[in-house]
Amino acid sequence: MIEAERISKRYGDLLALDDVSFSVEQGEVVGFLGPNGAGKTTMMRILTGFLPPTDGTARIAGHDLFRDPLAARRAIGYLPESPPLYPEMDVEGYLRYVATLKGVPRRERSGAVERALVRCGLSHVPRRVIGALSKGYRQRVGIAQAIVHDPPVLILDEPTIGLDPVQIREIRGLLAELAAPKEGGTQHTIILSTHMLAEVEAICRRVILIHNGRKRVDAPLAELTRGGARLEELFTRVTMREPDEASAVAEAGA
Amino acid sequence: MRRVPAIAGRELRSLFASPVAYAFLTLFAILAGFFFLTQLLVFQEQLIRLQQFQMFEQLREWNLNDQVLQYFFGVMAVILLFIVPGITMGLLAAEKANGTEELLLTSPITIWELVLGKFVAGALFVALLVALVGLYAGLLFLYGDPEPGKTGAGLLALLLVGWAYVAIGLFASSLTRSQAIAFFVSFVLLMVLWMLSFLADLGAADGGSLGGGVLGALGGWTTSALRYLSSADHFEQLVKGLVSTRDVAYFGVIIASFLILTKAVVESVRWR
Repeated sequence: MIEAERISKRYGDLLALDDVSFSVEQGEVVGFLGPNGAGKTTMMRILTGFLPPTDGTARIAGHDLFRDPLAARRAIGYLPESPPLYPEMDVEGYLRYVATLKGVPRRERSGAVERALVRCGLSHVPRRVIGALSKGYRQRVGIAQAIVHDPPVLILDEPTIGLDPVQIREIRGLLAELAAPKEGGTQHTIILSTHMLAEVEAICRRVILIHNGRKRVDAPLAELTRGGARLEELFTRVTMREPDEASAVAEAGA
Repeated sequence: MRRVPAIAGRELRSLFASPVAYAFLTLFAILAGFFFLTQLLVFQEQLIRLQQFQMFEQLREWNLNDQVLQYFFGVMAVILLFIVPGITMGLLAAEKANGTEELLLTSPITIWELVLGKFVAGALFVALLVALVGLYAGLLFLYGDPEPGKTGAGLLALLLVGWAYVAIGLFASSLTRSQAIAFFVSFVLLMVLWMLSFLADLGAADGGSLGGGVLGALGGWTTSALRYLSSADHFEQLVKGLVSTRDVAYFGVIIASFLILTKAVVESVRWR
């Protein structure tokens, strides 16, 4: 469903992503981990076609992101780090607008909006102005806009950041439901970036960890947590291994 | 191009969801009313004076079109110079500040759809402003008999000049995420474009004066080029009722060029 091939991204002198490849099969839910500044957001922006990579290619649902961008983008639902909301619009009007942008045919738009409202627990606030919603609700609207056109691929950048524990649990429940829908729903392929390792343990079946722009770990969750190992230890071990040049040298000398 | 109406519609709805649109409409209506009325009063007074002095020759040549509407439209074009940047400043800059740019650029729409959608929104708002001006001009038809053709040409001139401003303002809005900067940049661009003909006049008028000396040295070619580039000159021709392809095309070229520039800037965001 998602194939990233040897993607590199350079911002001036900074190499944000260095030759990262991976592929995600249909129905997989992948936790995308890494410390701040590891290149997670850059990778997601590349996969959604917002940023071009310096090098490498990507295919979404079989469409080359750079040669056939419109078809590839149609297959993606994307929640950026900060939800792209218009504060002055009401929830339903906003979702209808996004559905139009994403190419949902006119006749199916109302149904699509209704479905997204229900799935994200927003069906009781369709007329509420987005700017007046709480942060948790705004995050739900953000997820609703990502799924309104029922895309096969979902790319979610920190969907639970800044929420309180109750809201986090609700969003997680929603994500779990998107990952393993009851009969009839689209089984979404999901890439999810987060700092919450518990979240990964709760919903993801596979972990990709990047650090300093390079892929360090890419394995099924079950394998990583075999024998009671904690994801947190792995995360700490991988990201602490080379905090900077000096300690890397010291480690090599030891 | 199917998404153009959706993008334009959302933009207009948001404009009218805030007090900004109403504030601009009210301000514009008040200013239009003020200048319309003063121009009319001046006209009336001068008519009386001409009659008192029995200057029938001149009296015959005085009419609502040349003595009232032409000035009125000219003043409104200058007022648009201030108002249009206020309308266009947010068109693209707000999307950036809002983070919604990421939604637009990851949606299956082309950049042309985005740019044209935004332009259409601004153009429709300007059409509303021109319609207000038309309302005032229409009042004269109730009490006098101005020439419909000339009046129509004046309104067309206002519409064209307004649309050109929208294209320029949209371009300025694509450059930055700050609406204040977008306002300032478009205002300066519009001002320069408008004043080019004054510069040309300066050059043509007096070879001895300071500014004229420099321009005079550059020769007649420069002054006519400046005059051709100036929006004021083309507007003036149209407003006199001289609707020529040359002047209409000028505004078409301005609009097209700035839309193409805007598209290039929006596209370049991806390559930075």
